[in-house]
Amino acid sequence: MVNSNCDALSIIFPNSYDNQVPELVSERLMASIPFASRYRMIDFLLSSMVNCGIDNIIMIVRKNYRSLMRHLGSGREWDLTRKNGGLNIVPPFAEKTVHVYNGRVEALASIIEFLKNQREKYVFISDANIAANFDFNAMLDAHIASGADVTIAYKEEEIPYGFMNLQSTMSSDLYYTLSVEDGRVKEIQINPKESGKQNFSMNIYLIDRELLIDQITKAYARGYIYFERDILAPQLNTLKVYGYNYEGYCVRISDIKNYFDENMKLLDNENLDSLFHAPIYTKIRDDNPTRYIGSAKVKNAMVADGCVIEGEVENCILFRGVKIGRGAKVKNCVLMQDTVVESNADVEYIITDKEVTITSGKELKGSDTFPVFVAPRKTV
Amino acid sequence: MAKEMIAMILAGGQGSRLYALTQKLAKPAVPFGGKYRIIDFPLSNCANSGIDTVGILTQYQPLVLNEYIGNGQPWDLDRLYGGVHVLPPYQQASGSDWYKGTANAIYQNLSFIDRYDPQYVIILSGDQICKQDYSDFLRFHKEKGAEFSVAVMEVPWEEASRFGLMVADENDKITEFQEKPKEPKSNLASMGIYIFNTDVLKKYLIEDEADPNSQNDFGNNIIPNLLKDGRNMYAYHFNGYWKDVGTIPSLWEANMEIMDPEHSGIDLFDENWKIYSRNSGLTGHKIGMNAVVENSMITDGCRIEGTVKHSILFAGVQVEAGAVVQDAVIMGNVIIKEGSVVEHCIVAENAIIGENAVVGAMPSNKGNSVATVGPGVYIGDHAKVGPDAMVNHNVKDGEVQW
Repeated sequence: MVNSNCDALSIIFPNSYDNQVPELVSERLMASIPFASRYRMIDFLLSSMVNCGIDNIIMIVRKNYRSLMRHLGSGREWDLTRKNGGLNIVPPFAEKTVHVYNGRVEALASIIEFLKNQREKYVFISDANIAANFDFNAMLDAHIASGADVTIAYKEEEIPYGFMNLQSTMSSDLYYTLSVEDGRVKEIQINPKESGKQNFSMNIYLIDRELLIDQITKAYARGYIYFERDILAPQLNTLKVYGYNYEGYCVRISDIKNYFDENMKLLDNENLDSLFHAPIYTKIRDDNPTRYIGSAKVKNAMVADGCVIEGEVENCILFRGVKIGRGAKVKNCVLMQDTVVESNADVEYIITDKEVTITSGKELKGSDTFPVFVAPRKTV
Repeated sequence: MAKEMIAMILAGGQGSRLYALTQKLAKPAVPFGGKYRIIDFPLSNCANSGIDTVGILTQYQPLVLNEYIGNGQPWDLDRLYGGVHVLPPYQQASGSDWYKGTANAIYQNLSFIDRYDPQYVIILSGDQICKQDYSDFLRFHKEKGAEFSVAVMEVPWEEASRFGLMVADENDKITEFQEKPKEPKSNLASMGIYIFNTDVLKKYLIEDEADPNSQNDFGNNIIPNLLKDGRNMYAYHFNGYWKDVGTIPSLWEANMEIMDPEHSGIDLFDENWKIYSRNSGLTGHKIGMNAVVENSMITDGCRIEGTVKHSILFAGVQVEAGAVVQDAVIMGNVIIKEGSVVEHCIVAENAIIGENAVVGAMPSNKGNSVATVGPGVYIGDHAKVGPDAMVNHNVKDGEVQW
């Protein structure tokens, strides 16, 4: 067979770290959080995978996944409607009683028969809380060159406040840093609290498929839950676990403030170009071009299609179909799809979820350190 | 299963009066309205009217058009049975022919129509900007018990002699047809959109083909023959927005009208009648710190640092600081460099306007001409392109092109 594709399949966990942004996931999950004016978080790693020739992608969803299924459909926009492979969404399986998995081990065990039947030699595993234009081929090359059994992508950065202060006991919300020597991972720290730059795991793993099946089968039989804590950490001496230092632009959603900041950072063209150096695909809405009417004044903004702008906009990210009425003032805001700011309203430092309406003449202001969040379909 | 009605779109037109824009692509593929191509309008109308089988008759420079149509997915026309099909002229055992006229183009594809065995066939033009519900047209056709119907628009009497005119009685039954007459008896202009009962269409196309003196044209031959035989022919009144964008000024004007839907009647914001297109896939557009944007339409991937007034910018256009764009149609991925002035003009895809260059001019009392810069053309630094110019080749730094 002609090998024009990457010899790896991908498994994505779209629900990981849901608890960090409870506001945004009330009706969705991490993977379907809108980001960067016209995308959802999942679009970034999914498009990166497709751009790298990975066309066999499995998503193991846990809960609140309706919005994700609506977004992805058959996977056509990502070129993932394939006869072999393509996009495969795996909901919790109803065996005797409906059971929702608790950790990666259990989740992976539920697809073990599927994994046995695949042809790809390697498996990428990732979450969906990261937006990056990630080069999976470069990581695969590094994996092969080092002769590793498992490679973990990490980024040297400070652990964001949102991780350190999360009081969740959910296994999918643990975070990890790595001690790396000559590329090899010597130690995995779980939920460390150190400040300063760390080798902060991106939770993107690369592993030989046969090895994964073997490890998961053994771990599941022993009742293990955590892939990192129960499989990788205890075997660092016997398994060759390598670190892969990712140096590209990387967004990691850790709380609502950080969500706001990461959107705003894209107003800097340098950041925008780093995140979008290869195409990122998303669901098409067929909006018309954005229309600026009469008194519109716009400064430093990223605006998606389908907007109608008659008021003043400064330092904002506007998603598709946002309407800004005449005389309205919108400053330092992230307004998600189909938000309406009626005439003469005055808003600053707010995040609106989809289909929010700020009625005429209303004033609503958050602050630099505390952006106000308005839940989906609410009217202020 | 037979289809009730299928559509045939005539898309072979060269659009020679759009010269610089149609050197490498057919007129229906000409970009329009910020993120569309002209063909998006009839295709979206079909999708929104419930027509799921469409033949597109191409002939002139079909490459861009073919690629754009692809499998028809953006218009929901990727179907197991039916869908969109591009139909170029082809060789047959008896020889091969280019499409000799509009009627001959359909005649050569009668076998395509037969495959779907429709009761009705709607013939559409691939080079008009129009939002029209063809299902309402079909309802009219059936109610009247027509064998042939044509969509007509009332035009001002003083302009009537430029059109093919239908003279109709109080029941909308057509009694006479006048092709660009000196003395018009009617102001109902044919829009070139027809519904035929399939059996009638086939009979007249076959007879027309057998006539060596025929020009094989619907307007000149088929319609007069139908009239002569006293067929049931009706005129369907359409009063929405309709524009044949056959010339540079009319193309420019139609683009400008999109920015004023309240008066012009072309509303692209209608949630119930979306115009679909193939998407650029670029990020939201960026308006910079010192940019000025007034009364304009801007789409994905644009980067604006300069001044944009009353203009339409297609995907991926860059307007650098200090540049001024006014009353202009700027197609995809054009770069407008620092300090240049681009006014009252059409700049086609991938053109580059150099620093401090001048393209076009705001209309004076002398005229209302629209300068045109062809696709991929480079206009050098400090170069000047006059308001009447149609530029199809690079203009060197500092040169002047009238």
